Amino acid sequence: MSELTVENLHLAYGDNPILKGVDMKLERGEVVSLLGPSGSGKTTLLRAVAGLEVPSQGRILIGDKVVFDGSRGVDVPAEGRNLGLVFQSYALWPHKTVFDNVAYGLKLRHANRGDIGERVRSALEQLSLGPLAQRLPHQLSGGQQQRVALARALVYNPPVILLDEPLSNLDAKLREEARAWLRELIVRLQLSALCVTHDQAEALAISDRILLLNGGRIEQQGTPQEMYSSPQTLFTADFMGSNNRLPGRVAEVRDGMALLEGHGWRLRGTAKPSAAPGGEGVGMIRLENIRIAEGPGENRLPAKLSTSMYLGDRWEHLFHVGEARVRAYGNAQLAGDSHWLEVPPQALWVF
Amino acid sequence: MATIAKPSIPALPGARLPFTSGLPRFLTILITAAAVLAPLSLIIYQSLLDAPFFDKHHAGIAAYQFIFADPDFWSALENSLLIATGMTIIAVPLGGVLAFVMERTDFPGKRWLEPMLLVPSFVSPMVLSFGYIVAAGPVGFYSIWATDVFGVVPWGLYSLLAMSVIAGLTHVPNVYVYASSALKNLGSDVEEAARVAGASPFRVAVSVSLPLIMPAMLFSAVLIFFLGLELFGLPLVLGDPEGHLVLSTYLYKLTNKLGTPSYHLMAAVAVCIVALTIPLVLLQRRLLQNVRKYATIKGKAGRIRELPLGKWRWLAVALVYAWLIVAVIVPLTGIALRAFVTNWGFGVKLADALTLDTFRTIWNEPTDVRAIINTILLGVIGGAITVACYTAIGFATHRRNDGWSRVIDYLVLLPRAVPGLLIGLAFLWVFLFFPPLQPLRATMFSMWLAYTVVWLAYGMRLVSSSLLQVSNELEEAARTVGASRGRISREITLPLIRHGLLGSWLLVFMIFEREYSTGVYLLAPGNEVIGASLVSLWQGGAIDIVAALSLVNIVLVAIGLAFALRFGVRLRD
Repeated sequence: MSELTVENLHLAYGDNPILKGVDMKLERGEVVSLLGPSGSGKTTLLRAVAGLEVPSQGRILIGDKVVFDGSRGVDVPAEGRNLGLVFQSYALWPHKTVFDNVAYGLKLRHANRGDIGERVRSALEQLSLGPLAQRLPHQLSGGQQQRVALARALVYNPPVILLDEPLSNLDAKLREEARAWLRELIVRLQLSALCVTHDQAEALAISDRILLLNGGRIEQQGTPQEMYSSPQTLFTADFMGSNNRLPGRVAEVRDGMALLEGHGWRLRGTAKPSAAPGGEGVGMIRLENIRIAEGPGENRLPAKLSTSMYLGDRWEHLFHVGEARVRAYGNAQLAGDSHWLEVPPQALWVF
Repeated sequence: MATIAKPSIPALPGARLPFTSGLPRFLTILITAAAVLAPLSLIIYQSLLDAPFFDKHHAGIAAYQFIFADPDFWSALENSLLIATGMTIIAVPLGGVLAFVMERTDFPGKRWLEPMLLVPSFVSPMVLSFGYIVAAGPVGFYSIWATDVFGVVPWGLYSLLAMSVIAGLTHVPNVYVYASSALKNLGSDVEEAARVAGASPFRVAVSVSLPLIMPAMLFSAVLIFFLGLELFGLPLVLGDPEGHLVLSTYLYKLTNKLGTPSYHLMAAVAVCIVALTIPLVLLQRRLLQNVRKYATIKGKAGRIRELPLGKWRWLAVALVYAWLIVAVIVPLTGIALRAFVTNWGFGVKLADALTLDTFRTIWNEPTDVRAIINTILLGVIGGAITVACYTAIGFATHRRNDGWSRVIDYLVLLPRAVPGLLIGLAFLWVFLFFPPLQPLRATMFSMWLAYTVVWLAYGMRLVSSSLLQVSNELEEAARTVGASRGRISREITLPLIRHGLLGSWLLVFMIFEREYSTGVYLLAPGNEVIGASLVSLWQGGAIDIVAALSLVNIVLVAIGLAFALRFGVRLRD
């Protein structure tokens, strides 16, 4: 059974449409990420699920209970939806101790005092916050605050927890540790989670499924592997990973392969649905899939080296291919300024 | 299932009926509407009758015809406009300069000076004006000392020009407050950007700082003009000797003029005053939104580098201290001295005249003692209840963007346009008009209610600025864990704004101590307050008692101010 179902959801701020018909499902024990650039509507979708924004049409179901139905005028208020929400800012109540922050949801459910104490302590233990129960939020580090916010959202066992950019307020270094820790926690507690993020690396790492939003619609959805290695649209290909873009003309499309021509080069690549023979086309290739070659050959590009950057574990070289700029990784510094770049046909997507 | 699950969790309690959950809000709106609209509609109703509403009367515009035919009305209107214009011309540039000097330059002793600058706005205008008379009037302390030096008194207080100057100088703080917060918000980075681009400090002031605080200056100009039309205490005290009337004193003297209660005429004048002030209040609202718009495009309000005054330093010091002496020190020392003197005039030596006699008289006069006690109670207990009411209204609009919120917005704004004198008068009528309310007329409740309505707009600004500081997400977080609106208000928002509310209480205490015009018509045996008593004692010529009570009044305000400074309450918004 799906824990959360969203059907044809529309939402506008005044005349400005934010969501233009979104459908999604979240299965039990699954982590789904809403990914997209700013303004794509991902946070709005999350807030609509939580009941903090009012959609104009569509349906939202939690389990089999309808919490929003535009056509029947059903709109269960946020406080009646029994969801857990972790805010980007954590939104811990500064006047309550860690214990009281976490206990508040149970108090509202009229749990008895003994149960509250036991459950809060056990939640704090789970998140290694046990010794901090009597602290006030401002006495905690950013990472600790984030865990309190999680404990507060988990303690009353909501069917779904919603996470709004849960890691974005942490330092870059702490963020990678927290990412691993969060994934581990979600799997261990078998949580069903909906997570908003604008960071594709974060989405790839923590989710079972990714929904990529673009301009209020779902552009593509799938497992992290599908999203990364077989994008269906130019937007998806461009948004995931680091890419080179080669504009050209599609000379022919045959057997799922396309031939892309530019000034002084022609490359074979995998044809995507939008590639039409005779029209303009764009070749997309991930940085890590370009190889710097010795000389001319099949599917190779002549390129002029512009500059090189040292990244620590490798080099990143910037080439000019006619008007286009192409970046590629290498293990060593390059000598001279004329080089050849090899683009494997299965790694070049032609849109 | 989740390993956290140990004891079972009760389900969320079912939502209450929408009706009961909206009830407190509905009642708040209803009571606010009644408290604001009843007195105002009564004024309009009374103005359309040809006699007081409790006498035999006919509907009609006779009252308007009478006052429009009265040359005194027209001269009062003219005087009001002249004084309002004069004080705007004086207060706005001075306030702007003062703000620039205090916010942007290395003026010496700024920290100490800042609270002093605000003093005139915390002292009752009645007290200040009286202070001018006893300090610099024909037989004032400073006048007599000046006569010893110059042979004559080189100034006069009672002309229209003198009144405009005094009103202008005592209203400088109102401009200063807005100009300096605009400068503070401006952040010095936009100025530094201009400096780096090659502009001299003077160019920066003229082409960057000034245009950016223009909306705030424009707003203060309209505010000062508006306050000028509302003046009561100052023209009452200083306009009397030469018989200059302004609109509010014209209204006040109508009774004396005709010898009978001429409520219909007073109501007609009141409607004329409100017809002038309402557009100004709406204009202020528009302009204030503009000020805010500019505030949001501000640069980063980081550390502000002080502009060295250099050789201008002494001019600035002279200007600021001259203003301080004229607007603060002269009237306050005048009152402080006069309170300890019973007979004063030419040839009296100050050292011989000092006495505590007046205070002994007050101590033995139950009415005066009661006035002092009532004033304190009204400020402390009444102030607390008032802040509670304002908070309730604040919650009724907090995070709600529906039609009712806009209704409350305008309800709150309305009393702003009506001078305290008129609201006091209108409440007197309310208590006379509705028989069940009559027993409450001569009690502290009537005073408290009128004070609360008069300062509604001011108080709501204090409360809502506290409410706005509570991040929306803290309340949304409570909603998602299952808290209803009422519980969020009580358990999340209210505890978070308690410091802001305590500060508001102190500020409301101070303005309640300062208030004088609202109680003028409500004054009755039993509910005396210092402010209104001063007006009637002044009319009766009891100068000694007025001086001593004024001093008591100043001390009460000063105590409030001391607490506010001690606890770091922001004295301005």
